[in-house]
Amino acid sequence: MKFTLNIWRQNGPDERGRLITYEAPDVSPGMSFLEMLDGVNQRLLGNGEEPVAFEQDCREGICGSCSLVINGIPHGPDQGITTCQLYMRRFSDGASITIEPWRAKAFPILKDLVVDRSALDRIMQAGGYISVNTGGAVDGNVILIGKDQAETAMDAASCIGCGACVAACKNASAMLYVAAKVSHLATLPQGRPERARRVSAMLEAMDREGFGSCGNQYECEAVCPKNISTRFIANLNHEYLRAGIVESGLPSEPESPHAESS
Amino acid sequence: MGLAMTGLGLVVFVVFHMLGNLQLFEGPHALNGYAAFLRDMPIALWAARIGLLSMAALHIGLALQLSMRNRRARPVEYTIHRYRHASIASRTMAISGMALLLFVGFHLLHLTAGVIDPGFADRRDPEGYRDVYGKVVHAFQNPFMVVLYLAGQLGLGLHLSHAIASSVQTMGFEHAALNRLLKAFGPVIGLIVVLGNVAIILAVFLGIVR
Repeated sequence: MKFTLNIWRQNGPDERGRLITYEAPDVSPGMSFLEMLDGVNQRLLGNGEEPVAFEQDCREGICGSCSLVINGIPHGPDQGITTCQLYMRRFSDGASITIEPWRAKAFPILKDLVVDRSALDRIMQAGGYISVNTGGAVDGNVILIGKDQAETAMDAASCIGCGACVAACKNASAMLYVAAKVSHLATLPQGRPERARRVSAMLEAMDREGFGSCGNQYECEAVCPKNISTRFIANLNHEYLRAGIVESGLPSEPESPHAESS
Repeated sequence: MGLAMTGLGLVVFVVFHMLGNLQLFEGPHALNGYAAFLRDMPIALWAARIGLLSMAALHIGLALQLSMRNRRARPVEYTIHRYRHASIASRTMAISGMALLLFVGFHLLHLTAGVIDPGFADRRDPEGYRDVYGKVVHAFQNPFMVVLYLAGQLGLGLHLSHAIASSVQTMGFEHAALNRLLKAFGPVIGLIVVLGNVAIILAVFLGIVR
């Protein structure tokens, strides 16, 4: 197969970027999207040119590193998969493919298609600890958790933090990410004691990082490689309201030495 | 959150406004009597009016503030951006909102304040009530007004079809079994309001109510 690629090239965070056209001949239909880019980079290196920088790690759809907007859709045309699981047979021979990085103020471009997603880590840090005692591992089933609850928590916990939700959102909002993390921990007994403080802190951190707000268009759900449901966003809003109303009498700043200092 | 709450407040108003207007079909006595009933309580009426206007102002202010923040959240746009799920209504909230603002402004000047068509502003019916019925019938016999008001209803329907379900989500109502119902709830309420209002406009224009 043969493709014409329009790839975003940008030398550094403060440089101006632009789309540059490359040809990708001799692509096998069984190649993954990233393998196809490896081929492009081999050729560039052979010609003494700078290879295209893109992020990748596990290449089996679980690490959340790959992050390409392919023809206007984060992670490409298929639903429920990451870029590394997208195969070239999905495209028609001779097609022209535009590849861009995630675009958001909170995700500054480092180089070409690589963006800095540490804003998501800082939101997670702001959420703080959960109540798990130190010492030996706890025996199984000491704290009983209902099947429904366990499944819901697992659905939320399947978020791999890739940031496609932010990339797809018209407002570059990280609501689905925060919703998945908050819902995951608020559904389980271990995360309950800090749930009010956690949701407020994480939403404040999200605002601080410069993400936009949620307009309930559900584009995030449509591109999420883990199919995380936007019902977790409703749950996040619910948690936030609950934190504001029910727990308004409690001190908002924890006095624990484990608290994040920001 | 504020946007959703003020929005839902305004939704409650448009629902009752439509229901009140439907009394047109019961004839002049019912509609004019209803108008007089509202005007008989000046304190409640003005409290409601001021409440509504401030709610609308807050809604618009918050919408502007949010959309400016959201624009800042993505300083460099995509060369190609394809929507996968977002409805047309959800993508045009700002446009339908601004169209609604213009329409509501016109509507207030026209049928409430009587600035645009002053002929009917103070006319009384045989029972001595303000002739709201006559004013409405006169207005919608004019094809220009019919087109304008139908366009206004189109904007309202478009805005509500995203707005209500979206607000419900923002207020954090969610239930595994009821979610589909909650999602449908918005467009259905929007449709009922629009159909009620359109029925009034067309009934007059087609001569069913005269």
